[in-house]
Amino acid sequence: MNGTPDTVEVVGFMDLAGLFRARGWTSPHRLPLAGPIDGFELLVRLDVSFDAVESLFVNHKAIGLADAVIRPGDRVALVPPGVPGPHRFCLGIWRRPSGS
Amino acid sequence: MHKIYRVNMTDLSVKVEPVPAEWAGLGGRALTSTIVAAEVPPTCHPLGPNNKLVFAPGLLSGTAASNAGRFSCGAKSPLTGGIKESSAGGTSSRIIARLGIKAIIVEGQPAGDAWYALVVGKDGVEIREETETLGLGTFATVEKINARHGEDFGVITLGPAGEHMMAISNISVKDPESKIRSFGRGGLGAVMGSKRVKLLAIDPTGGAPLALADPAKFKEANRTFTKTLADHPVSGQGLKKYGTAVLVNVINEAGGLPTKNFTTGQCDHHDQISGEQMYDNIVAREGEPSHPCSPACQIQCSQVYNDKDGKYLTSGFEYETIWALGADGMIKDLDVIAEIDNVMDDLGVDSIETPVMFAVAMEAGLLPWGDGARMLQLLREDIAKATPLGRLLGGGTGHVGRAYGLTRIPVVKNQAIPAYDPRPIKGIGVTYATTTMGADHTAGYAIATNILNVGGKVDPLKNDGQVELSRNLQIATAAVDSTGLCLFIAFPALDIPACLGSVVEMLNARYGLALTGDDVVALGKNVLKIEHAFNLAAGLGPETDRLPEFFELESIAPHDAKWDMDQKELATFWNF
Repeated sequence: MNGTPDTVEVVGFMDLAGLFRARGWTSPHRLPLAGPIDGFELLVRLDVSFDAVESLFVNHKAIGLADAVIRPGDRVALVPPGVPGPHRFCLGIWRRPSGS
Repeated sequence: MHKIYRVNMTDLSVKVEPVPAEWAGLGGRALTSTIVAAEVPPTCHPLGPNNKLVFAPGLLSGTAASNAGRFSCGAKSPLTGGIKESSAGGTSSRIIARLGIKAIIVEGQPAGDAWYALVVGKDGVEIREETETLGLGTFATVEKINARHGEDFGVITLGPAGEHMMAISNISVKDPESKIRSFGRGGLGAVMGSKRVKLLAIDPTGGAPLALADPAKFKEANRTFTKTLADHPVSGQGLKKYGTAVLVNVINEAGGLPTKNFTTGQCDHHDQISGEQMYDNIVAREGEPSHPCSPACQIQCSQVYNDKDGKYLTSGFEYETIWALGADGMIKDLDVIAEIDNVMDDLGVDSIETPVMFAVAMEAGLLPWGDGARMLQLLREDIAKATPLGRLLGGGTGHVGRAYGLTRIPVVKNQAIPAYDPRPIKGIGVTYATTTMGADHTAGYAIATNILNVGGKVDPLKNDGQVELSRNLQIATAAVDSTGLCLFIAFPALDIPACLGSVVEMLNARYGLALTGDDVVALGKNVLKIEHAFNLAAGLGPETDRLPEFFELESIAPHDAKWDMDQKELATFWNF
């Protein structure tokens, strides 16, 4: 939880960090939120392409876009495709490619 | 005609031997581990005459295959007391493979005080007494050998730490820019130093492109393989732009970034030492964000990092090094971390074992947390010169922790635990505990297709499924380590079916075989079993397949996680 009950705290990694900075957003960026939404809805509200995100961390736990439930007060990190490491599996950062 | 060079340092003789039939289908880790298991008494002293140091290119090294420049080095480890295989990039693997050399075995031990250089060529090895480079760092040694023999020679060398037979020492391999890559882990530099070999100079004269059983099939398979590397977001984009250091922020977010000697899982200054910050610095200072560690490397996860004045500071600036210095040792300045990385490379010490050791030394009060200047001084004045304090530090993480009576000593089989805390990331904890190598994140790096249904479903904070996940990762890694391919091909190999198939096709086209994916998995299993049998005979039984007790006693923020894997469940790892 980020300590502010009417917003969600959002950070972006890799190119998304640059995108947030280019928009003049602070890190973390605070997005007003009144009620629960899923990961796709969060990206719509942030104006971030679905293809630019492979997985999310919600309150430090990795979860897929469709499975995520984001509530006011949460901290969310956007993980783009392209993150290496054995932890991709150990953390659950993996989205099955379309068609596989 | 493939051959094996056997260099006997006891009587300073060399034999050129044919490759035994049972070794013909092996390369890289499969070959080094097979030779060590066959010829090294498991109970021998790692620094004594009965240990052997084995160098072997991979099965695809020397071909036109992308990312096939990896090189294996094996021996009994003076750090773990078990079998060790370490992998490096650089130029030597390709040169040696093209000379038709399957492996170089360095055995025995000379009686006197002299040091030697091994000049390797197409007809054999010449053993020459070496004086000019003694005491020099790895960079100066490479410069001397370039001047002596020519820049096209491969160079494999020790820094001062290897000459002093320290357990933190590694073996360095010249890269395409005449900088160095390393056989980093397990103290293999001490084994080479114990044989009084300062360097190997590899003469490429007479080397030739390798004969292929089916050149057209190989070319087609390599084209497919190369395309999958380019198409995948990890191997084609993420690693190329940000390197492995992109993991700093990601692992910090997961609460698995071991900080201040593993006392918490998040680091307040993570942004200052992140891959994103590193990339911004590199671009602003006109460094190179993408850089190959070996010929034909397409992924190019390495980089050249300059200081504020645009002057070279380091290259091959890896996540694990940045984590160990920046988070575990609390150094906030990325430029200082880069300078320390370069000094460690020059001294020839492992850039995981050494900074993890320093974090333990910080907890012991030997130097202040985050004091990079003092660390540089200890490296240059004590470790490089092997003062009594330098020898204490040069013994590694476990050595220093025990000397100061600490209980938080992050080692498995006496090798330092790397950059992923096993409490919130249970799967990597299983790998640390069970791998034959001692705590090693790369032991479980690659991905086998048969775990597709596991990936993405395992909960990192729970124990369910972790042993099976780690087992499959380790089997696949052992197979990839035997091909000479970079482990990072694992990412497209998971997600793009044509990738793994093209690797098998390249092996078949190279050697005229009819292997299937199952055969490659079987190779990986066999490697692990050979290594495990060696370790059991060396005295590393099931009781050593465990994490340090403090992981069970101390929870880690932000998940308040402890290590709670049942030891009996861990023991099922070897049920295959």
